[in-house]
Amino acid sequence: MKELFQMLPDPRFHLVYGITQRFSEGPSPRQVRLNREGFKLLEGISKKMLVYPHQKLGVHPSPAKGDVFSPIFGKITEVNERSIFVEAVEPDEELRAAAQSVEKVDLLAMPERGGELVPILKGLGLNTGSLGQDCETLIINGLNPDPGVTWAEPMLLAHQRNLHNGLEMLRRLSPARRILLAVPKEIRLQHHDVEIVHVPSHYPASVNALVIKAVTGKERPDGVGIVGLHNVWSLGRVAVTGLPLTETVITIGSFTHSGNYIVKEGSMIGELLAFANIEFRDGDTLVRGGPLRGESIEKLSRSVTKGSTGVFVVEAGSVPVMEGHSPCINCGACVLVCPARLSPNLLSRYAEFALHERARKEYVEQCLECGLCGYVCIARRPVLQYIRLAKHKLAEADAVRRLEELKPVGQGEAASGAAQGGN
Amino acid sequence: MTSASSSVLLAMSAPPYWHCGRSIRRQSLYILAALLPAVCFAVWNWGLPAVRVMALSVAVCVAVEALCQKLMGRELAVDDLTAVCSGLLLAFLLPADSPWWLVVLGAVTSITLGKMAFGGLGANPVNTVLVGWAVLFVSFPLHMDANAASLGTTFVDPLVRLKFFGAEQAAHIPLTDLLLGRQINGLGAGQIGALFVGGSLLCMRGILRWHSALGFFLGVAGIAAIFHASDPMLHASPLYHLCTGSVMLAGFFLITDPANAPSRPLPMFLYGLIGGGLVMAIRKYGVYTDGTPFAILLVNMLTPLLDMIRPKPFGVR
Repeated sequence: MKELFQMLPDPRFHLVYGITQRFSEGPSPRQVRLNREGFKLLEGISKKMLVYPHQKLGVHPSPAKGDVFSPIFGKITEVNERSIFVEAVEPDEELRAAAQSVEKVDLLAMPERGGELVPILKGLGLNTGSLGQDCETLIINGLNPDPGVTWAEPMLLAHQRNLHNGLEMLRRLSPARRILLAVPKEIRLQHHDVEIVHVPSHYPASVNALVIKAVTGKERPDGVGIVGLHNVWSLGRVAVTGLPLTETVITIGSFTHSGNYIVKEGSMIGELLAFANIEFRDGDTLVRGGPLRGESIEKLSRSVTKGSTGVFVVEAGSVPVMEGHSPCINCGACVLVCPARLSPNLLSRYAEFALHERARKEYVEQCLECGLCGYVCIARRPVLQYIRLAKHKLAEADAVRRLEELKPVGQGEAASGAAQGGN
Repeated sequence: MTSASSSVLLAMSAPPYWHCGRSIRRQSLYILAALLPAVCFAVWNWGLPAVRVMALSVAVCVAVEALCQKLMGRELAVDDLTAVCSGLLLAFLLPADSPWWLVVLGAVTSITLGKMAFGGLGANPVNTVLVGWAVLFVSFPLHMDANAASLGTTFVDPLVRLKFFGAEQAAHIPLTDLLLGRQINGLGAGQIGALFVGGSLLCMRGILRWHSALGFFLGVAGIAAIFHASDPMLHASPLYHLCTGSVMLAGFFLITDPANAPSRPLPMFLYGLIGGGLVMAIRKYGVYTDGTPFAILLVNMLTPLLDMIRPKPFGVR
């Protein structure tokens, strides 16, 4: 009955794709663009400098944010506020020797546990925010995050050593007393060292809050944390190689064709698509991240970062065109499909007319951002974008309000400062 | 990067980048396809006069909508075909022998007062088609009375038979006549079998929300069954009520109009149920033989109230 009246008959939404092929190595990039927002460059790192793989380029002031490393032999061509550009060069003897001298760290042999591991992992380029979060129960989200992304199954089934090491390190790092691995109910998986929970696998089941609900039976329970399989894989990768993390696993796909690759951090999307033999034409949309929750990219020289889940080409004509100014026609499809039981039709209109406080009263903050509202919208409204806008504006307003609460004190200090200046 | 690939113009968009593929236009096409069997039956039963009314109504609706959009300084959106659907549904409610001015007046009021005055598609508080119908029905009762308007036919009006001759007389009308549309009624509203086939297919495809349709039919049949059980001599069977008047048309195509219906499953079902109950109340105690359109106009007004029945959002305690 439910299937007959299913609003999402799209087979791609079933997040088990039967793909278990091991990941291919991605291209060796001719140029990389590394994110440096918030990073402080190490001394001596400057333009025109030659760098070697795994050479540390910058550190982030946050203890949970991994440092930035060069993924290739190359020359720094440009450094600006947001990015570091490195162009590949043929290494000379000296550079090769420097690359050889990068010390390997045997994480598994280390005695450190819990918080002591955080600075070590940071020094290996790992973000430990979600891995080391403070919680009673930690769930590993073993589902493909978005429809079309297919790396979760191979990660669970074909890269066992990596997964095993990742779990071992996670057990050492996480303060959680219980660590569970949530996998699609279709996958029969035996692991002696982690508790497996089988969860539904039809999108939006892979959204973090819904995985937690499937595992615990509760909506937003306290003391339960969740971490993506992608992060555990990165942790395992570092434990296996002993080298700083400079690569990520992504799905590169189009309507007809897709594959999973281990690519260097900072690889440019144009190069990746050419490597994966994916063609595109004028009018196609290029998506970084998943096809439902990702972001649209305006040029091919954008790069993938450690957290990227995929790169997709959406061919022009494969979906109805989004014109951007179409009004809501009250068809109610989004309300029926919303897994958070919200009214996206109202929320999107509130955001459209900048009535953000009303959106808050309609629980906009409970939105899981799964993107299904936009998927079913027959008027092709950017519903998810409107909701994100409302959330962003509300967060901004809250920040301003908090500042204003502090103001009397600040003004008092300024006044006394002025008084002192007068003396 | 080659110069060829860097010169590609990429389209920017907002997430999600995949889509179910449905659009307003495609939705309208589905509805028109579902109405097609009823159109064929209408032509078969009523001949060219039915074609005349349907064509005129559709043409006027589209023209008026285009004119309104022009006057309102909006982009022309008649290519979404919603005006065609409205025009056809309005024609379905009119007798086949309606004079041309009646059809034109109905179509103009439907689109102007029932749709564009509120800001266009989906903004109207009550059903677009029924606004036009109600204006005509109240202003020109004689022309709108299918029994009085259709003189050159051998068909009978089952509801008039029921109201003025009693249930026993009404029971003599064979069910196949009712199903095949051999009854005096609106020219398309009487094509019960064809509407049922088209409507149920649309419900299965998820284009129409089955909750309100099911609720509506259960409401009509349920109350009719209670009356029928209390005294079968006085009251017609539930099936008779389902197959007469515009119940079948309204249950599938009017009450399900999502712009006027609540949007969650339970409220939609209740909305249908109340609508069905109102139909029977008007038929039983009202002066009109078929209360369906008025029942739906009334229940449209309940939508904001019914929309207040809603589950708590995710994680809200």
